[in-house]
Amino acid sequence: MNNLCLEIKEASKKFPGVLALDNADFKLKKGSIHALLGENGAGKSTLIKIITGLYKQDTGKLLINNVETSLNSPTEAQNRGISVVHQERNLIRRFSVGENLLLNDLPKNKFGLINYKLVFERSKEWLDLMDLNIDPRTVVSDLTVAKMQLCEIAKALSIKSRILLLDEPTSSLSPQETEHLFKVLQKIVREEDVSIVFVSHKLEEVFELCDQVTVLRDGKNACTSESINKLTRQNLVKLMIGREEQIIKSEKKVVSDQKTVLRLEKINTELGHHDINLTLGKGEIIGLYGLVGSGRTELAKCLLGLEKIVSGQIKINENEVRLDSPKTALDRFKIGYISEDRKKEGLILMHNVLENAGITIWSKIKSFLSFLSDKAIHAKVDPFIRELEVKTPSYSQLISNLSGGNQQKISVAKWLAAGTDILIIDEPTVGIDIKTKSYIHELIIGLAKKGTSIVLISSDMPEMISLADRVIVMKNFKIEGNEPNSHNYADMSSKIMAYIHD
Amino acid sequence: MNFFSQEYFKKDWFGLLIVVLLSGVIISFFKPAFLSSFNLYVLMLSVSLWLVVAMSQMIIIAIGQMNLSVGAIGGLVAISFTGLMEVHGFSIPYAILTGLFIGLFCGFINGFLTVKTGISAFIITLATLYIFKGMNLGITEAQPFYQIPESIKNFGNAKIIGPVPYLIIIPIIITVMMWLLMNKTQSGRNMLAYGNSVQSSELMGISPTKVVITAHVISGFLAAIGGMLVVCRLQLGTPNIGDSWLLPSFAAPVIGGAVLAGGKVDVIATALGVIIVAIISQALVIFKIDPFFVQILLGFMILIAVFINRYREYKEERRKKIFIYEASHE
Repeated sequence: MNNLCLEIKEASKKFPGVLALDNADFKLKKGSIHALLGENGAGKSTLIKIITGLYKQDTGKLLINNVETSLNSPTEAQNRGISVVHQERNLIRRFSVGENLLLNDLPKNKFGLINYKLVFERSKEWLDLMDLNIDPRTVVSDLTVAKMQLCEIAKALSIKSRILLLDEPTSSLSPQETEHLFKVLQKIVREEDVSIVFVSHKLEEVFELCDQVTVLRDGKNACTSESINKLTRQNLVKLMIGREEQIIKSEKKVVSDQKTVLRLEKINTELGHHDINLTLGKGEIIGLYGLVGSGRTELAKCLLGLEKIVSGQIKINENEVRLDSPKTALDRFKIGYISEDRKKEGLILMHNVLENAGITIWSKIKSFLSFLSDKAIHAKVDPFIRELEVKTPSYSQLISNLSGGNQQKISVAKWLAAGTDILIIDEPTVGIDIKTKSYIHELIIGLAKKGTSIVLISSDMPEMISLADRVIVMKNFKIEGNEPNSHNYADMSSKIMAYIHD
Repeated sequence: MNFFSQEYFKKDWFGLLIVVLLSGVIISFFKPAFLSSFNLYVLMLSVSLWLVVAMSQMIIIAIGQMNLSVGAIGGLVAISFTGLMEVHGFSIPYAILTGLFIGLFCGFINGFLTVKTGISAFIITLATLYIFKGMNLGITEAQPFYQIPESIKNFGNAKIIGPVPYLIIIPIIITVMMWLLMNKTQSGRNMLAYGNSVQSSELMGISPTKVVITAHVISGFLAAIGGMLVVCRLQLGTPNIGDSWLLPSFAAPVIGGAVLAGGKVDVIATALGVIIVAIISQALVIFKIDPFFVQILLGFMILIAVFINRYREYKEERRKKIFIYEASHE
């Protein structure tokens, strides 16, 4: 008798044009935290969708507790004890935490009316179980992202889920929050008889948390349920991408005659930024590092004219300017912004590749009478889309049908096409696989070499240290430190952490 | 504790209640006739009808959709109700039951088509609006039914006590039921959850089919009651009953702070919205102001209500930004 709670045997799944899964195996041991790794498009999401009942495999078997089963809908999977905690937060934002936890079956009194006192009492038990100090009466939209995620896990437990799938749960969490999440996960595995499938691109986390690992590459198993102790980081990377990882570093530049293109002097903003002084040279990459909520993205939005600046001066090429809208920022001062939130702010999901990539240049290439021709847009954006190796069947493909990595490439291509002088890049590689990540890193360095000045916002310390020329550390909407990058990881990371935790 | 930080001060209905009381006091100060028995009676009659119409739209707003056919359903039920009694000799209870059934059925069609085709309710109900209205005109040949049983006429005229009409009982019961539905029952909460996020609610195991059809069926049911209440009040069944319902049906929920994208409605605030609209229409009659002014004022009230809501949302967002910022650094 083995102790597998979930097993997939030789599963294949074909979509028009692609074999997404090719005889893939997966074995989840009871009480284990199992990492499911692979690059974008390797078949991870297909496998997850089979486990959660959204897809059905063409061939192969699915076994729950060693019994062959077929799952026809997410509800059926849930009834069999399988729950997913999605990247998108799936809670009802206007409802209280307690109501969200028990929404499937709210306790009622004898008249069939909801008994809220009982709702809050029962949900409190689940929150306590997870060491979550949240009042169940709190409205979900008042919670931090991290707490919403923990609430989703509590919800999964409350409906008696024994297999939890976590899809990149840490992508928007700060290091402390991640640590708390991991503690909770380890606790529920230990005490609640839960098994976890953990999907992440962050290998450090996999080594910290997981005991087993399955890697998919091009729909096939690169390894199946291997014990994590037998593997090193290099092994894993090689399994995932089929070659060794290339570490990219931007060489140190000669900073002698560097012209300052952007200068912030004593900026105070309505959001609470205080006394921000900053310079950005031509072709320089400055990194803004800080915890989630330290005001980095908000500062970027001030530069785009989206948030109000109360006092201070912004100078571009040493001329004082007023930035009142993203349109002014782009058209007059050539400042572009690549959002951290691709889906909401960066791309128009309902539009196709061509329209998305061309949107920033519409105003430049529109002809007499403002007609836009697809041909003209095509000619402008095609080189960039090619350069970035965007995988899309055609330019008329809807953006929403592309993978996350390719979506990110399109949002970069869009700004390349616009020919910006200053590019603000916010968390460019969140949720992106290692291979695409290095492409994007190369790309950022290449842009800087060609003279684009870059403000890089990232919570990924290795990324910061490999790319930035200077690292600016932000905390509580203030600049705490301004450190030239020595490109020495140990040295830099300890300096940066010292600014944050002094 | 600061007065302005009290819990009730943040509720949608609180501000509206103040408006109702203030406008009542101000108007009756200048025109004591406003508080005359006859005037209050007319006011309550008008509130009775619009309450039902507003609730019929509100429940569809709750799930993030719109029902353009509320008036058409109300009209079709009104003439069916009177026609069945006059032409086919139905007894009153049978006529009422048939009327209610027609309303339920029309609502079911709206809900079923919306959820099964995935076409927006706006389009579906636009189409059914014409269909129901066309059936109405086909049945009546644009002629009113005048033969209304005495007992219905009496019900439409009778007063319980002082100026309070019998007619208001039904809308009050409906309002209470709607409050219970939206706040205290699983299916009401499911509707609001669906209105908040279709995707999330589905992943939580809420059935979209059930939610959408239930909401539309209730909407049709309420529109049917509205149609029959108008018959009681007018004492006849004319084919144009319901023609003027559409925009007012949105006005009260919106003044009451409903979010048209769905997921947020407030039954009490919607009821107060109805009362405010009624008071203002009434006041303008008393002050002998041109009726066109009623429309202008109503337009401004909706704008003001939306501005206030937007402003509060803005404040709330700001507060949350700071709150969440602090929370993630505790």
